[in-house]
Amino acid sequence: MDGAELELFAQTLRRATASRTGAALDAALEEVGWQDALAVDVRAAVSMLFELQGEANAASSALDRVVLSGLGLELGSTAAVVLPPLGRWSPPGELDGTHLYIRGLGTAALGPAAGIFSMARSRWSLGASKSDTLLASRKTALVVARTGDREVAVVVTAADLTLRPVRGIDPWLGLVEVTGDVFGAGVQPEPVPTKWASAVALGQLALGHELVGASRKVLELAREHALQRIQFGRRISAFQAIRHRLADTLVAIETADAMLAAAWQDRSLQAAAMAKALAGRGARMAARHCQQVLAGIGFTTEHPLHRYVRRVLVLDQLMGSARTLTRELGAELLRTKKLPPLLPL
Amino acid sequence: MDLDEFRASLDRWLEESGAALAPAYSGLGTLDERMAQLAKVKRLTYDAGWMRWGWPERVGGLGGSTLLRAYLGEALTSRDLVDPGSYSMTEVLAPTMIDYARPELAAAMVPRLLRGDEIWCQGFSEPGTGSNLAALSCRATRADDGWRVTGQKIWTSFAQYAARCVILTRTGSAESAHKGITALFVDMDTPGITVRPIEAMHGATEFCEVFFDDVSVPFERTLAEVGQGWSVAMDLLPYERSVALWHKAAYLHRRLDEVLHRTPPDALDAAALGEVTQLLYAFRARSRATQHRLAAGEPLGPETSIDKVLVATAEQALFDLVADGLAADVTIGDDPESERWRAEFLYSRAATIYGGSAEIQRNIIARRLLDLGPEG
Repeated sequence: MDGAELELFAQTLRRATASRTGAALDAALEEVGWQDALAVDVRAAVSMLFELQGEANAASSALDRVVLSGLGLELGSTAAVVLPPLGRWSPPGELDGTHLYIRGLGTAALGPAAGIFSMARSRWSLGASKSDTLLASRKTALVVARTGDREVAVVVTAADLTLRPVRGIDPWLGLVEVTGDVFGAGVQPEPVPTKWASAVALGQLALGHELVGASRKVLELAREHALQRIQFGRRISAFQAIRHRLADTLVAIETADAMLAAAWQDRSLQAAAMAKALAGRGARMAARHCQQVLAGIGFTTEHPLHRYVRRVLVLDQLMGSARTLTRELGAELLRTKKLPPLLPL
Repeated sequence: MDLDEFRASLDRWLEESGAALAPAYSGLGTLDERMAQLAKVKRLTYDAGWMRWGWPERVGGLGGSTLLRAYLGEALTSRDLVDPGSYSMTEVLAPTMIDYARPELAAAMVPRLLRGDEIWCQGFSEPGTGSNLAALSCRATRADDGWRVTGQKIWTSFAQYAARCVILTRTGSAESAHKGITALFVDMDTPGITVRPIEAMHGATEFCEVFFDDVSVPFERTLAEVGQGWSVAMDLLPYERSVALWHKAAYLHRRLDEVLHRTPPDALDAAALGEVTQLLYAFRARSRATQHRLAAGEPLGPETSIDKVLVATAEQALFDLVADGLAADVTIGDDPESERWRAEFLYSRAATIYGGSAEIQRNIIARRLLDLGPEG
């Protein structure tokens, strides 16, 4: 896509993410051809959508598409993907003969139906009714599983899975906890064109952009507040303690953003993991600093901040948290005594 | 000459010229030895043409993108052939001359700096003006035959080696702040100049006090217009935070690699190692974009304060890692290698102080990038 097309596409995505979430956003993405964009220009499609999604605190099942694309697979638009369990990046399945053991998470694509989702945006709690669960059971999901030293893909029906709609700290994200123990004729392993690790790397980039988008929004909220709130006869934005917290937040965001850009150029697994870790750490720092600046109002549900504080905590955990990815990078370096290749000038 | 061609042929030349370029000392060396090494490397790279790429032809350069300069510095610092701090002063001083000196003066002087025939210094800070540069008081008054400069500078790096100095002087009233500052190009052998090196914590006498006592400077050594010194200072800051920081980062990557290989088993915490690596790679990513913006002729501004905060953070984090991973070298070792690690650890403590302190950088970010309005 060229400059003008990108700009137009960004505007379309901004409109979609600003007003929709869950199944409604999925439908809007389908309508605007986001999946086609993903096939044509993966970087533009992923970076734009996920940054906007993070900024708007919207949720979609686009991460499923990203993982599928990373695996080099194309499935029908209803197929969902089982993601790794919280905090992990290994494949969610273990295959032993025809016995498939599944532990992971799913996005809204495996979640309860659309209506619940659009309501959930303005509602504190989220519950799945029996009919929603029934609807979900007709869906299929792709599970990547390890078997010996190979990786295979297995398509299972949602009926084979135990799906727990997650309320948790961020009910608006619409995650689903997935467990399954499937065996017999239903288990038909297929080879995967690309390694799972590549799909994870692409997913990490998407999540990194989402974290950066959320961080930018959080900083904007804190900045607006600092410029309006008067104490001791001054705007609190005049106090250096406030200014430096916000400056540090911007540095953390730009650091993650720069690493994301480098990871897109470099396309190595290590660069993607580094970018995700920096984005996760930066977003948690943004949440901490900006919550402090927003103080009392930021601790209420009358202000949007809490939604971002919640979102950031969960996104940090998906496909490896800042803490675990950082420790793993260090451990790998100690093992191999080899630094990742440097991106040339 | 494009970057890929430059990179390939320079790498080949550096390979072939390894013995000629290598320092004559092991470990840290004395400051005299290091300055001689700097002069040698600059001369060899200038004579072979490499040092001339990326600089305009009117000052002895061969033209081409600033990326070539960035890569040359990366190649030299990552091979430990030069210290990034002293080497990269060219990146600040030469653009100042090119942009603001009379063309004949720039044409006569810049090649001496590039070729390493001369070392130059930069006299900005004063005892009473650390972070608050606009309050400087070193005075230049008009006489019939030129300026008379009286006052004091401090933290002037390598002044005891320098043949010339770019100084900022007060030519307006004491209250004129940034409007009454003029930049001058001064010969360091002019009568009335006294240099007193200060021994710094890391053992080197790289920083100096420079005293000016009725020092005569010809009018044609004025850089930019009278009263435009503040713009001169502001315009060179982006250079200080672009190409020079890229060189610094290449050196930090080399040290990270060395720590990884030299550290005894179990001496490094995996999480700390991982975090330092992420910071250095992220800095490289950030700075790479800055290099390309500079090369494309885009104006660099306050956003380079982010580069500066990030590289200082990364440098200190790296040397905190060194203090754990190579604890014996840093704390009790007395061999040349240990002395180098110790000096570099100590020097890293200043990374958030020099070149605009970490607080000043955050003030710039708050004011200019976040648009938070005035402080206080």
